[in-house]
Amino acid sequence: MAETKNIYKPIRAKLLDVIAESPTIKTFIMEPEEDFTFKTGEFIELTVDGIGEAPFTPSSSPLETKKIEVTVMKTGYVTEYLHQMKPGETLGIRGPFGRGYPVERFYDKEVLILGGGCGFAPIRSLLYNLAAISDKLRKVTLCYGSKTPDECIYKPYVDELRNTPKFEVLRTVDEPNESWSESVGVATVLLDQVKVDIKNSVAVCCGPPIMMKFGTMKFLEMGYPENDIYLSMEKNMSCGLGKCGHCMMGKYFVCKEGPVFTYDEIKDQPDIWS
Amino acid sequence: MNDVTDMKNYYSLLNSDWNSALEQLFGDYLIYAPIKTEESIDFELIQNEDIQEIIYNVPKPTTPLKTFFLPIKENLTSETPDSKRIIIGTPNCDIHGLQILDEIYLDKDYVDYAYKTRRENTILISSSCFETLEHCHCMTYGVKPFSTEVADISLSHLDKKIHLEVLSEKGEKFINELKNIASVSNSAESEIKDIELKHSKIENEVIANNTGLPDYKKTGKIVSKAEDKTWIKYSTNCVSCGACATICPTCTCFLLIDKPNFEKVRQLDACQYPGFERVAGGEDALGELPKRFKNRYFCKYVWKPQKFKSLVCTGCGRCIEACIGKINKNELFRELA
Repeated sequence: MAETKNIYKPIRAKLLDVIAESPTIKTFIMEPEEDFTFKTGEFIELTVDGIGEAPFTPSSSPLETKKIEVTVMKTGYVTEYLHQMKPGETLGIRGPFGRGYPVERFYDKEVLILGGGCGFAPIRSLLYNLAAISDKLRKVTLCYGSKTPDECIYKPYVDELRNTPKFEVLRTVDEPNESWSESVGVATVLLDQVKVDIKNSVAVCCGPPIMMKFGTMKFLEMGYPENDIYLSMEKNMSCGLGKCGHCMMGKYFVCKEGPVFTYDEIKDQPDIWS
Repeated sequence: MNDVTDMKNYYSLLNSDWNSALEQLFGDYLIYAPIKTEESIDFELIQNEDIQEIIYNVPKPTTPLKTFFLPIKENLTSETPDSKRIIIGTPNCDIHGLQILDEIYLDKDYVDYAYKTRRENTILISSSCFETLEHCHCMTYGVKPFSTEVADISLSHLDKKIHLEVLSEKGEKFINELKNIASVSNSAESEIKDIELKHSKIENEVIANNTGLPDYKKTGKIVSKAEDKTWIKYSTNCVSCGACATICPTCTCFLLIDKPNFEKVRQLDACQYPGFERVAGGEDALGELPKRFKNRYFCKYVWKPQKFKSLVCTGCGRCIEACIGKINKNELFRELA
């Protein structure tokens, strides 16, 4: 019975593989004990048994129901433990939670995506989704920034995307090395290189708060209407259920009404970039 | 609503009969009611010897009603609350406060099973306030000092009798149960008049005590317009103890704590504690004390009113009494009115 389902109890998921994406970022491939479906941009609460729980937006395709992947940067208590985990161990999953990307609103449009650092994780899931419906889209451009070439994640996937019709990937790093042949500078510099028909386009942004802020400003400057800018917001989403109160951003529970918002929806709320 | 609420549905029984009925109800229910101690009046789990000591028709016991439904700490994955309970003597401010909890915890998208079970297993016998305390300001926010809904029964103790006004179907069932074990009759017109007189006397008293205090329609605007200097000034004596939130009948934020074997423990939390909004990367929108202080006012008077139907401040005044820094929210509202 749906009513008696314990909303706090995770389902178990076996860790199948761990991929080191960068010195601080790993992808965890899991097999939940039951089929697990989500819409791209929705998030899960991942439990490291007895240690803690943290929210992650899956980086895998929403079309895949047997396996689920999250890409995690080592940043705090839970992720520190998570990074030590080995294939065969068991994790817990609750969700999916929140509101993801309204992909159907992207139909017949050009999708311009700005991502930074580990913000590529939710974007990769979105890209898998967009690739599956590319006949309905005009074009997809990913502008991705990271600190160094070493910290650029999903390298094989970027190569794959570059060979996919209608998809384009531009990358930049803050600190290049000798072998880096792409752009240099903060992620927003890439937006100057993009030729886009704003009227028939939507913009998507996911990354660290500072990039979200300046990315949004840049999108507005480019002429994007406020309701065509999709932002994946990050707050302390703890319960995922719109109850515990930790992720309140003004009148919104980010966990339930987000994490994906249009700029128009959140521009009047306080502290959106922190 | 059914016609139960349309007509005055008052029943009464002698004090002695009520007391012996309670004794018999112990077999089926845990009964909680306010008892007076040296320092305070607070809810206790009633035993036989306490029945005589129950205090009726007084304003707010120290502990808010919410803690009966959201215990300070509970394991959400291993325990299932199943005890049937009767809670007697809850003031209407607390009864009102349950409505926002219901909106959040019975939200049809994610029903909280522990909360729902407790709500279903509890008979709420509210009691009208026959007196008012210094910081009571329910009327300012449109909350009456007696219950007309949400509770199952509204109790008034007059002289030698207990009067029970039925407010819900659950309350009706309880009266039927009571009729099996005690001599219950309908309250007389004159007795109902006496109760209503007491009600309106207290209503007027609460209104008179709070002249000039901005109502709930104005509080949101006041909070929205307040400048940073207000939050800095009023938070000067705040020590982030969180007492205001702990004691508040409508503050419900919690932490989920992990225990081995994927168990989850809920512990009530407060946005007044440092780190409430901190994320793993270190960003913390409420890192500074005046911001946390301001957050509580915005939550209660601006944001949640935009989102929920129920009041998020019922004017009970407990936060004023509990504050060790002697911060009085009503002084802030009067200053900025």
